[in-house]
Amino acid sequence: MINVFPAAERHSADLGWLRSQPSFSFGEYYDPNRTGFGVMRVCNDDYLAPGRGFGAHPHSDMEIVSIVLNGKIRHEDNLGNSVVSSFGEVQRMSAGSGVIHTEFNASEDEELRLLQLWFMPEERGVTPSYEATKYDIEKLHNALLPVVSDQASDQVAWIGQNMTVYLSKLEQGKQLSYVAAADRRLFLYIIEGRLKAHGETLSAGDTAQMVQVSGLELTAEEPAFFMLIDLP
Amino acid sequence: MKQTFLVKHAVGGRMFIDSNKQELKYTFAPQGEGWLFMVDVPWSEAIEELLARKNELNVFVFQEFDDRPTLKTWYYVKDGPVEYSADQSRLTIVADSRIEYYPHLYST
Repeated sequence: MINVFPAAERHSADLGWLRSQPSFSFGEYYDPNRTGFGVMRVCNDDYLAPGRGFGAHPHSDMEIVSIVLNGKIRHEDNLGNSVVSSFGEVQRMSAGSGVIHTEFNASEDEELRLLQLWFMPEERGVTPSYEATKYDIEKLHNALLPVVSDQASDQVAWIGQNMTVYLSKLEQGKQLSYVAAADRRLFLYIIEGRLKAHGETLSAGDTAQMVQVSGLELTAEEPAFFMLIDLP
Repeated sequence: MKQTFLVKHAVGGRMFIDSNKQELKYTFAPQGEGWLFMVDVPWSEAIEELLARKNELNVFVFQEFDDRPTLKTWYYVKDGPVEYSADQSRLTIVADSRIEYYPHLYST
């Protein structure tokens, strides 16, 4: 089964310094029917003005992933980390028993676009940890590239949940297949372009939530940049 | 010194209790290895929402001073308990640990 959530029907917020399009309830936006998908609780497509960001605030018991799409993000936390990441890089924070951090657009003249993803962890109360990784942008082309997973490697950030986040850039007319276990969920987010998935056409900003879809066929109707998440 | 007590939803920050915006009495003190909060607050939809999300709470105490920077203290509520007594109109929250931080020490 596939449920498509068009971008046009998604909530959007504009605070001047922050434009955000959350897929699920967040902040003052609360829809009891849109509070998550499996262990996924937050998927925000955020645009931050130059030099602006989120001041010091806490997190706990959440796996938080920031995927930079454009510009530069600066992360700082009470664990001693201070990292700037740009396109091709991912930040992952396991908040566990508590972490204080900030996130700012590190540029004084360029807008920052990033995907903010939150997932419930497999285990609560763990020691907080943070990691920044870099993946090979060339490997996005016509392939599903894992960038975050509980099966980590040099270019794949580890996450404390049984799941994998893939990114892909698919040329027009190209096709990819993905096989998921029957009890898994699949979350698809179109970053750019247009993609046909399981018979449904999705455009930039559209989301698809799938359950019991073991064989997923993805075809680019025009050049498409998208994120696919396999999660419980 | 001005002190503010807040309870927010950890996912997205929806406010459940804000001592600046509602009349309430609250106390907090160490208990065992954690902290016990007792809040006298009437039943409301916000309290109902808070209890429904008792494993996802951010509890804060902000202390604003005239002569030094604001100190924020965040309390980690893991498994609570978080309970409400209708008879006493009292909310109790047990926090496991806390982190004190000065926001001005983080770069912007």
